[in-house]
Amino acid sequence: MIERIARPDEVRRWPGSIPVSHRYTPGVAGQAFLETLRDRGVILGSRCDRCRYTYVPARLFCERCFAELAADVEVGPAGVLRSFAIGFVGVEGEPLESPLTLGLVQLDGADACLLHLVLDHSDEPLEIGRRVEVVVKPAGERTGSILDIEGFRPVEG
Amino acid sequence: MSARRVAAVGAGMTRFMRRAQETGKELAWEASRAALESCELTLDAVDAVCLTSAPDAFDGVHMKGEYLSDGAGAFGRPFIRTYVGGGSGVFTAIQGWYTVASGMADVVLVVAEEKMSSTQPHPQAAFLTIFDNVLERPLGPNLLWIFALEMNRYMSAYGLDKRDIAAVAVKNKRNAADHPAALLGRSDITVEDVLASETLAWPVQRLDVSPVSDGAVALVLASEEAAERITDRPVWIQGVGWNLDTAYWTNRDLVFPEYVRNAARAAYAMAGVTEPRKQIHIAEPYDPFDYKELHHLEGLMLFDPGTAPEAARDGVLNRDGDLPSCPSGGLLGVGNPIAAAGLMKVAELFWQLRGEAGARQVPGSPERGVAQAWGDLMQVGTVVVLGNEGGPPTTATRLPDSPTPPASTPGHPLTEAEFRGATGAVEDAVDARYAWDAGVAISRFLGGLREGRILGRECRGCERVLVPPRMFCERCFRGTDAWVEVEPTGVVQTFSICHVSWDMKPLETPEIPAVIAIDGSSGGFLHVLGEVDPQEVRVGMAVEAVWKPVAERTGSILDIAYFRPVRGGAP
Repeated sequence: MIERIARPDEVRRWPGSIPVSHRYTPGVAGQAFLETLRDRGVILGSRCDRCRYTYVPARLFCERCFAELAADVEVGPAGVLRSFAIGFVGVEGEPLESPLTLGLVQLDGADACLLHLVLDHSDEPLEIGRRVEVVVKPAGERTGSILDIEGFRPVEG
Repeated sequence: MSARRVAAVGAGMTRFMRRAQETGKELAWEASRAALESCELTLDAVDAVCLTSAPDAFDGVHMKGEYLSDGAGAFGRPFIRTYVGGGSGVFTAIQGWYTVASGMADVVLVVAEEKMSSTQPHPQAAFLTIFDNVLERPLGPNLLWIFALEMNRYMSAYGLDKRDIAAVAVKNKRNAADHPAALLGRSDITVEDVLASETLAWPVQRLDVSPVSDGAVALVLASEEAAERITDRPVWIQGVGWNLDTAYWTNRDLVFPEYVRNAARAAYAMAGVTEPRKQIHIAEPYDPFDYKELHHLEGLMLFDPGTAPEAARDGVLNRDGDLPSCPSGGLLGVGNPIAAAGLMKVAELFWQLRGEAGARQVPGSPERGVAQAWGDLMQVGTVVVLGNEGGPPTTATRLPDSPTPPASTPGHPLTEAEFRGATGAVEDAVDARYAWDAGVAISRFLGGLREGRILGRECRGCERVLVPPRMFCERCFRGTDAWVEVEPTGVVQTFSICHVSWDMKPLETPEIPAVIAIDGSSGGFLHVLGEVDPQEVRVGMAVEAVWKPVAERTGSILDIAYFRPVRGGAP
């Protein structure tokens, strides 16, 4: 039998948190990807010849056949916008000053898509299938982070 | 039972490292690939994948099972992640067993991964919420408390010598010196080294404890028909068992792991083991702390309660002893990437029973072994019995051509400096905040504390008085019957003298956590002791609650400031 709460003031809540934070290191393939992005401003993928699939970012192994892969395929810098979304609110639901466009881009030479911002300053509506290219920060400003890429910019063609 | 027979046919593992450069996915892949290569299979041969990994909070990846799935070979396959805390590694072998035994799959890849180095400032943070948020966390507990309290209870009940328990740490770290994947192997360690190491939470010292680690282990299981195609030396899963004790850990007598015995009984019955001391030739009991190996050997019915420590002292548990225990080097020596460590024990039995363990090989053609792990809220036992049914070939038909253990990978260990300086590293805190409802029973209990009264609930089914109270009895599974007031006095069942905080920082003043059996109730209750010299505290000491002044009480477990010895009470 469930006892009814006769005195709601007796119901107590104890506030708290789980005081844990994390340091994520990028791993074997991730480190090769980020260091190359920082040093040369290019995007590295990994090719599995057996599965005829090129992963981006680079990976240590093929999830389809388990082959060990090298981080040695340069992809892009141009590619095709496969999908996009426009965010008008932030994570807390607050309105954003200017909308944020996220794009999934299949870079030339890759099978997988890379997620990043779309830098679209034109008045033309964005369309799936549009040619875009990667915009990277100047060499001196790159740190070995996914943010060394500023985003994708629509190009002609 | 109409279950199909299931064999282990391959195993692999990464080196266990304090900090691995590999991501969790990359660790899982290295171990999985090594296991498949050990039996000359490719991923195509795998029908289903069973994965385990302990709390998501270690890797800091919510829904870690899905995150790890590609590294475990789960792309495009039936996939399940099971999780029973520290018991997970052995449990996932059980999960793999019934995936094959049921006929769902012929070849299953079983994978266990843990990457604890991501957790900041210390992996213990992930354990804080295993304590009751309302009744225990306000006391500021850390995970060591549970172990120290259990260890002291075990030592006190049987009058054990700490030296005999330390012999387990010595044995395992020496055994691990022969394991190429080990983190903490040390061939020259002595009992004196263990006894001289830093006291963390008395009686637990630094070298009584297994190390925080990153690593992964994988096993390939197959049906009888598939096993015959894959190998001429299958190792059979003869029995499995798992069992839970009450989640109210202070209500248990910590002296004996009943849940391990229950799990072992089930596994032995399935395996046809009627005399475990004769029929089990190798044990890999769970050893996150040295006393735990002994505790678990007793739970596995391989020794009478209280007698495993003398076996450790006398060398019975050594590789060349009568009952080799943790020939791998165990968690204390190989390392403790939680879930992976449990599966490492099953992999070790696989290698031992195939005669492939090289320098670690137990002599005398062992035919059957038992692996066991422990976890959840410190109350699950998971047990697997493996056997080679006829003994390993005296002259191996196909000698292993790789260094022992077959199929371990070197990995990429990072130093602290490399870890801190790694390119592209990202730091983040989940910053999730909670408000835990005390619930019906505990709200009333806390209201009682504000009035200076300790309230319990009576169950007339099992004639227990439950403190802390609950509205249902977990044994009888019926509503409890009535509120009763018990005395604010009790008896110390066990205690610890803790010198470190949860993030392993030294405390200026040691804390004395204790499990106190409140007079008139059934079972114990966690609180701290005060107004007493730590050296004077004894198991069996009569204590009484010291209440905060009425005006300062808020309806909290801290309305009892602490318990102190009853003046003129029992010594």
